[in-house]
Amino acid sequence: MDQFTITGNQRNVLFGFMGLGLLCMIITFFGDDMFHTRFWTNYLHNSVFFTGIALMSLFILSAFTTALAGWHTLIKRIWEAYSMFLIPGLILMAVVVIATVGHMHHLYHWTDASEVANDPILNGKSGFLNLTWFSAGTIIIMGIWIFFAWKMRQLSLDEDKNGDASYEHHRKIRIYSAAFLPIAGFSSAAVIWLWIMSIDAHWYSTLFAWYTGASWFVAAMASTIVLIAYLKGKGYLQNVTQEHLHDLGKYLFAFSIFWTYLWFSQYMLIWYGNVGEETVYFQERQENYPVLFYGNLLLNFIAPFFVLMRNDTKRKYGTMVFASVVVFFGHWWDFFQMIKPGARLTAMHAMEHHGGEGAHHGAEHGAELAGHTEAAMHAMPFEMGFTIPGLLELGTMLGFLALFIYVILNQLSKAPLTPKNDPYLEESLHHHVELHGEEAH
Amino acid sequence: MSNQKKDILYGLYNDEEYLLKAVDHANAEGLEITEVFTPFPVHGLDPKLGFAESRLHITGFVYGMLGTLTAFLFMTWVFTRDWPIIFGGKPYFSAPAFIPITFELTVLFAAVGMVVTFYIICGLGPGVTIPTLDDRITDDKFCIAFDVTNAEESLTDKLKGFFSQTGAEEVNTKNI
Repeated sequence: MDQFTITGNQRNVLFGFMGLGLLCMIITFFGDDMFHTRFWTNYLHNSVFFTGIALMSLFILSAFTTALAGWHTLIKRIWEAYSMFLIPGLILMAVVVIATVGHMHHLYHWTDASEVANDPILNGKSGFLNLTWFSAGTIIIMGIWIFFAWKMRQLSLDEDKNGDASYEHHRKIRIYSAAFLPIAGFSSAAVIWLWIMSIDAHWYSTLFAWYTGASWFVAAMASTIVLIAYLKGKGYLQNVTQEHLHDLGKYLFAFSIFWTYLWFSQYMLIWYGNVGEETVYFQERQENYPVLFYGNLLLNFIAPFFVLMRNDTKRKYGTMVFASVVVFFGHWWDFFQMIKPGARLTAMHAMEHHGGEGAHHGAEHGAELAGHTEAAMHAMPFEMGFTIPGLLELGTMLGFLALFIYVILNQLSKAPLTPKNDPYLEESLHHHVELHGEEAH
Repeated sequence: MSNQKKDILYGLYNDEEYLLKAVDHANAEGLEITEVFTPFPVHGLDPKLGFAESRLHITGFVYGMLGTLTAFLFMTWVFTRDWPIIFGGKPYFSAPAFIPITFELTVLFAAVGMVVTFYIICGLGPGVTIPTLDDRITDDKFCIAFDVTNAEESLTDKLKGFFSQTGAEEVNTKNI
């Protein structure tokens, strides 16, 4: 079977989960504080997470094409399909942009003009942290990504029909790939600063973009492995063997270590430097969100490190799917701990100033919360959806995941799963990495 | 390892494809290959020769963990018991500061440990010379060797026939 079709059953399950996600978001919205912080952080969290996976898939595809890799040709349709999620991703992020410009939420401290005027740090950053950059940056940068994703996808689909031995299509894909790599490198950093790092508006880290990118990369690999295992179980992708799985497993393992390396580099330099403006980020998380902070390392380093270290665990579908599910959830968790603590502080701070409905909420802890640095030194009370992800967060995530999977399956059904006329197809069919493995299946 | 010299009948091949086919051929005929020498690792050769997977990497894990523990426990002991010094206002026990050295020692122990283990397994070491059948097997020739010490003439003839059949470039006997 080479032509994927979505069954009615799959469609029903996915729409069911999307409905669940929507329901969870509505419940979150109405049971929220005056800025709907929990709702908007959940929305931003999932939008950024799944959009990033789509971007990283395009990046992976471009990097492999540029490096003249051939082993992945049999699964390149999957990453092409992933990259098409950038279009719904743009719509999701456009909602965030509209809400930010319209001051419908209070995720970003720097959107408050009166605050910025009296704050030397925010004032100094206002050349970049402003609404023009946020809106135009998001739309233009994501537009460029979509252009490349669309172009490469179209060339690849056209190669199926009109490709010949001159490999003209592949040559063009290579040019687009090589051009996309630096663009993705710089532009992803810019949007990560805008979308996530600016939540902790006073704080910055030069490693943050890399760290976030690594998180997206691992999540993209993990979801690819689970999807391949699922499609193989359904009788598709019969030419994809353990050998391909093994290589995907190596990427999952290597980039989990890479993520840990970046996490630790960022943490240790800030810990050692001990500058108040920098340590505030980690102090807040370590003191007030220990479950998020240590759980992050457990899920994203300890678990994949020990599960994926051995050769044979990377060649078995069972262990690979298990490890992939763990780290996929782990990196979702990672984004949760990047976004929630900072947004919560910003909202509490703002409520104190705005008074009104939020005054009762702010007054509890608000009296002593003069600013971020001081706030970090005080214990934050447990609050579901901030201290740990609650059921509403999980439901929202499942809704977004269902949307993501639906878009991907829909894209997969538009073309044969095995690309034809690709110069590296033969290589991928005969991919073999293991000296001692059993016969591949 | 015995020090007794052996008579070795060996054939040299020009290409790994011929070598792999020859090994298959020998297996089919029930000829017992003593050893195969190649200038580089040949894909798919090990299972054909019935070699079990190497367990060297398990020793690597053990040595690595040993390195982790050595580094972390040693630094903990030094900085909390033996010679406590305050660095930059940090507590005596500062785990993040120990991590880079712990990582380095993990890698060092694993790498050195595996090399030493490998040398011991192969009987290599300073001052040990291993006689080679032919110097070109470290360059561009692929070699299949049979132990023909005290072998009957019929077997030797059969082996020579096997070599000529499978396209060996040269067939020689050497006493090493």
